Amino acid sequence: MSCPRTQHLLIEYFSDDLSKVTQTEIEKHLLTCDDCTAELESIQNTQSRLRQWQDDRVPHWDRGKTLFRQEHPGNEQQRRNWFWQWLPSAASFAMLCMLIFNTSISRSESGFTVSFGTADDAFDKNHLELRLAQFGELQQLEQNQMLQDFLARMDERQDGNNLRLMQAVFDQTKQTTAESFDQMYSYFEQRRQLDLENVQVSYQQLVDSDFETLMSMQQLANYVRYPGDAR
Amino acid sequence: MSFIDDDEALIATALNGSSYAWEKLVKRYEGRIYNYGLRLTGNATDAMDLMQEVFLGVYRNLHRFRGDAKFSSWIFRIAHNKAIDMNRRRALIQGRTFSIEDDENGEYLVPEQTTDNEPDTQLSKGQQNEEIQCMLQKLPMEQRLIVELKIYQSQTFEEISKMQEISENTAKTRFYAALKKLKVVMEESHVLS
Repeated sequence: MSCPRTQHLLIEYFSDDLSKVTQTEIEKHLLTCDDCTAELESIQNTQSRLRQWQDDRVPHWDRGKTLFRQEHPGNEQQRRNWFWQWLPSAASFAMLCMLIFNTSISRSESGFTVSFGTADDAFDKNHLELRLAQFGELQQLEQNQMLQDFLARMDERQDGNNLRLMQAVFDQTKQTTAESFDQMYSYFEQRRQLDLENVQVSYQQLVDSDFETLMSMQQLANYVRYPGDAR
Repeated sequence: MSFIDDDEALIATALNGSSYAWEKLVKRYEGRIYNYGLRLTGNATDAMDLMQEVFLGVYRNLHRFRGDAKFSSWIFRIAHNKAIDMNRRRALIQGRTFSIEDDENGEYLVPEQTTDNEPDTQLSKGQQNEEIQCMLQKLPMEQRLIVELKIYQSQTFEEISKMQEISENTAKTRFYAALKKLKVVMEESHVLS
């Protein structure tokens, strides 16, 4: 490099605030000076080479978290508290936004669709009719199901009532029958005792009567025998 | 969980004790600081040490950050100071500054560079970076810092002169001298290969 201006010129060339006049002057010189042109090219190549740097990934490290947590021990809990403190408000806000923007979520064969505001009338009408039809079908199905359930419950309840009634009647009947048998038994027993007493009395009377008859016959016999003996 | 995004808000939240905000802030800058360290120190271990020192310095001084300048400028000023300190410590302890190993003749060994520009023989990202690191290690620290600030941080000579506490002309001269030296290094490595 033999040009005495090269260093000064290139330092100026790489300045941030190179004026238009200076730039023109340098470019004019570069057109006539091979040394400066070659030097500029090689310097520019060097810069390009340096700019080929591509950032390396940072190896794993703890990012000072251990130190941070040692010096701020209570803040994790505070952060969790903060989260739970604001969660209801955030949920309310989200609901409010959904109401304001008239958000609707519908499910179709292709998946879920989230829509905001109102769509055009035709679409809206068709959509509404479809929704109404679906709603009607669902309602009908639901009502049928409810009716079936109700009837099943009624049947079950009726059966239960009948069963309880029959049980009560049966119990009553069983009780009444037992009482009647008891009464009959005691009546017959009473009658039997009475009859036995009557039979006993009758036999006694009969025995008494036979005895009297016997005695009469004996007296008669005695009487009859006496006149004979007497002759 | 949080939607905090700008540096100032992250700093304020980290100062209130949020480790999440601190981690987010670190994640945002660790790549730039680590690569800054790689270029200045020439090896991953020193780059890692430098990065950790920088973030420790940031953590210790976070409450002093007033937001007068951008946080990125502030953190790179800390990195700059830490790099100079580390270089000075290395020089005192081991009698060397950040550099790659010298060969027997006292010359730096620059990885061989291929001259073939075919895509399948082009240098990988790792090889390219390694070559640039080796080239930069040939520069004295003050020139390396200016190349770093000018080429990789895209700072103006005015900003560099303020940070380095030198005149703008000195900054320009050092930058030009650095590029000239790097040009020679590149030419030598071409000859050797």
